Amino acid sequence: MAEPMTASGVSGEAPAFAVRGLGKHFGGIHACREIELEFRAGEVLAILGENGAGKSTTVKCLHGLYQPDEGQVEVSGRAVHFRSPRDAEAAGISMIPQELDLFPDLSIAENLFLGQKRPRRPWGGFDQRAMNRQAREVMAALGVDVDVTAPVKTFSAATGRLVEIARALNRDARLIIMDEPTAALTEKETENLFEVIRRLKAAGVSIIYITHRLNECFTISDRIVVMRDGRLIRSGPAEEFTIGSLVDAMVGRPLETLYSRHSRPIGDVVFEVRGLTLGNVFSNVDFEVRSGEVLGVSGLIGSGRSEMAQAIYGIAPADRGEIIVDRKSVDVRSVSDALASGIAYLPEERRSQGLILPFTIAANMSLSVLALFSRLGFVNRKLEDGFASESARRFTVTGAALSSPVENLSGGNQQKVLIAKVLALDPKVVILDEPTRGVDVGAKSEVYRIIDDLAARNKAIVVISSEMNEVMSISDRIIVMHEGRISGRFTRDEFSQQAIGAAAAGQRLHHAA
Amino acid sequence: MSRAAILARPELPSLVFLILLVAALSVTTPSFFTIPNLQAVLEQVVVVSIVALAVNQVILSEQIDISTGSLVAVCAFVYGNIALTVGGSWVPLLGALATGAFVGLVNGVLSTYGRVSSIITTMGMLFALRGAVLLAAGAQVLNLPPESRIFGLGEAFGVPISIIVLVVVFALMGVVSRHTVFGRNVYAVGGNDRAARTVGLPLNQVRLMTLVLSGLSCGLAAAVLLGQIGQLQATAATGFELKVIAAVVLGGTSITGGRGSNLAPVVGAVLVGVILNALTLNRVPGIFELFVLGVLILAAVSFDGLRTRLTDRRR
Repeated sequence: MAEPMTASGVSGEAPAFAVRGLGKHFGGIHACREIELEFRAGEVLAILGENGAGKSTTVKCLHGLYQPDEGQVEVSGRAVHFRSPRDAEAAGISMIPQELDLFPDLSIAENLFLGQKRPRRPWGGFDQRAMNRQAREVMAALGVDVDVTAPVKTFSAATGRLVEIARALNRDARLIIMDEPTAALTEKETENLFEVIRRLKAAGVSIIYITHRLNECFTISDRIVVMRDGRLIRSGPAEEFTIGSLVDAMVGRPLETLYSRHSRPIGDVVFEVRGLTLGNVFSNVDFEVRSGEVLGVSGLIGSGRSEMAQAIYGIAPADRGEIIVDRKSVDVRSVSDALASGIAYLPEERRSQGLILPFTIAANMSLSVLALFSRLGFVNRKLEDGFASESARRFTVTGAALSSPVENLSGGNQQKVLIAKVLALDPKVVILDEPTRGVDVGAKSEVYRIIDDLAARNKAIVVISSEMNEVMSISDRIIVMHEGRISGRFTRDEFSQQAIGAAAAGQRLHHAA
Repeated sequence: MSRAAILARPELPSLVFLILLVAALSVTTPSFFTIPNLQAVLEQVVVVSIVALAVNQVILSEQIDISTGSLVAVCAFVYGNIALTVGGSWVPLLGALATGAFVGLVNGVLSTYGRVSSIITTMGMLFALRGAVLLAAGAQVLNLPPESRIFGLGEAFGVPISIIVLVVVFALMGVVSRHTVFGRNVYAVGGNDRAARTVGLPLNQVRLMTLVLSGLSCGLAAAVLLGQIGQLQATAATGFELKVIAAVVLGGTSITGGRGSNLAPVVGAVLVGVILNALTLNRVPGIFELFVLGVLILAAVSFDGLRTRLTDRRR
């Protein structure tokens, strides 16, 4: 395989790691096949593709979690056979999974040393001090100064992500696989992560970067590989791609159709929040949403956005403040109060907060409206199935029968099932918390279409999002939260990445660093 | 250790409670804070503590072992019969340890490679072993000669050997827990098993080993128990497994795994011992014992649940 030499690659020698003719099938279906990849020292390779394109399967073969059915993994030109992640780790390949895989009750230092050789004292016991010191050094190399003896659960998700990277570094990983590392990070934290990646590059570490955020590829990667239907579709230096050509390669359709936003008449104020306060989590939150209007809520993770939404939805009710629906003040003490007032909420964590994974698609969709299809407590299956197939059509859930469990669906389809469930009660106010997180481009555009459609039906819509492009493209107005307070309000003609980013960081634009 | 780290110690609440309780009892019940009484409490606590130290590891790794009561009886049966034929204490002890380890191994293999949850495996074992003892020794009443009772009656340097045994087991488990890869892996496996798999830890081996450890501890506990009572009946140590679990959970090890300490089971066992002792000293009828034990377990697990809720809110 004569790959053209890359800027940082070493010509003539075998690449540090390579994948040759890799294929893996589950049952009769090929998850990936004929994959050819080379990883050179100090290079960032982005792998793009929709959910189900075979990215995860490919990297799992590389990390020893799966054994390939065809082809092989090569380390320094020699074919190797990984029976488990243990073997891959020993060969210098580490993976930072999409969802944090840390030990919440153990300290950062302990997390870094699990499954790894520890420094010992002369009598044979572990040298805790040396471990802590080394942990501090590794974290410092990532630019983080934290108490490494404190349990991981006391830190933010962003720090957790860094602990994962530190763990890989502490194992002397030469190839680090990052599966959507920025999915749970805000713009600022993402920028920090990129800084870390640049340091890793400088130290000669190769990185595989899987993401759904197209902008990021151009910022951070040297080469880009696009996968579709289990195959490599395109591969080349990052400069050869544009956002448009990436989307084309991924889904085979042009970019203009990604965001849907029709101009529509905006009506009266339907939903209002006045002085909403919960302890020191958020305070004095005021905003209003009109019918047919999409209000974007931006801000860093931990700024109180989700907590504010959950207070409105009655999961953790506010201490003070007023919630007004249709000019009537409503007292939300529980989720059923919120539902009764016409407020619906799409949670951020669809797996843990939204869906019941072993339940069927139909059962998930009808969960909140089962009473409508029941008489004397008995569910009329016919009505339920009718409702479910109607919803599946409206929200374009594809890929599985309504009677199959939700856990078999791709992330995008799961999200659509959840949206169907949330909208089943025909609410007046819809709050969507990170509706496109971990969802592929195709499903994203469908989620945007659904939001646009809801606006056209005169719903009042609140979209919480960490993705700047998204929130700017679909919102009529944006509010930004910082440390529990609203730090900026923007109308559509005032939208700018800089201004919103500065407000999220709690700065005024002119003082921004 | 920083102040925050001390406050986060899992056994702290029960330790504080224990100290307050001892203080209160010393004032209200004059016969409590006397050397003979405290020594009696400790000796009663030894057997539960030894097994609780091992079951602590089982629970930390997100499993449970409820077979210990019957296993102690089986090991005591083995110990007693070897002692009657061969004599001495060390050969019977080896026999009891081997029996315990073997049963622990079976528990472990079934619970890991056999893919049956440990509560089911060890429940089956609880019944099967008790049945076996009843079949083999239903009518037998075994009286042990004094030279085979050193683990229960013997003294060295004026300290009961049983207490020395406990101290040694405690120190050993402390080292295993803090200074071996196995010990650290136990916390990891119980704390987040998916992450443990990703990191490449040998989950099955770790879980299997904890159950073997628990079996071994039953062998040792049987030697101490039989040494103390001197007479074996087939119904010995019935309900013992619940006292062990109560000690672990009361001590502050989380029943959901991954969180706890080596000190927790001992604190828990002493707490149970002191409470039962207080009942006896204050002439509360023995029939209250089970009731009190049950309430204590419920209180401990509710507290654990409450604490998890409070600490997880931040995430």
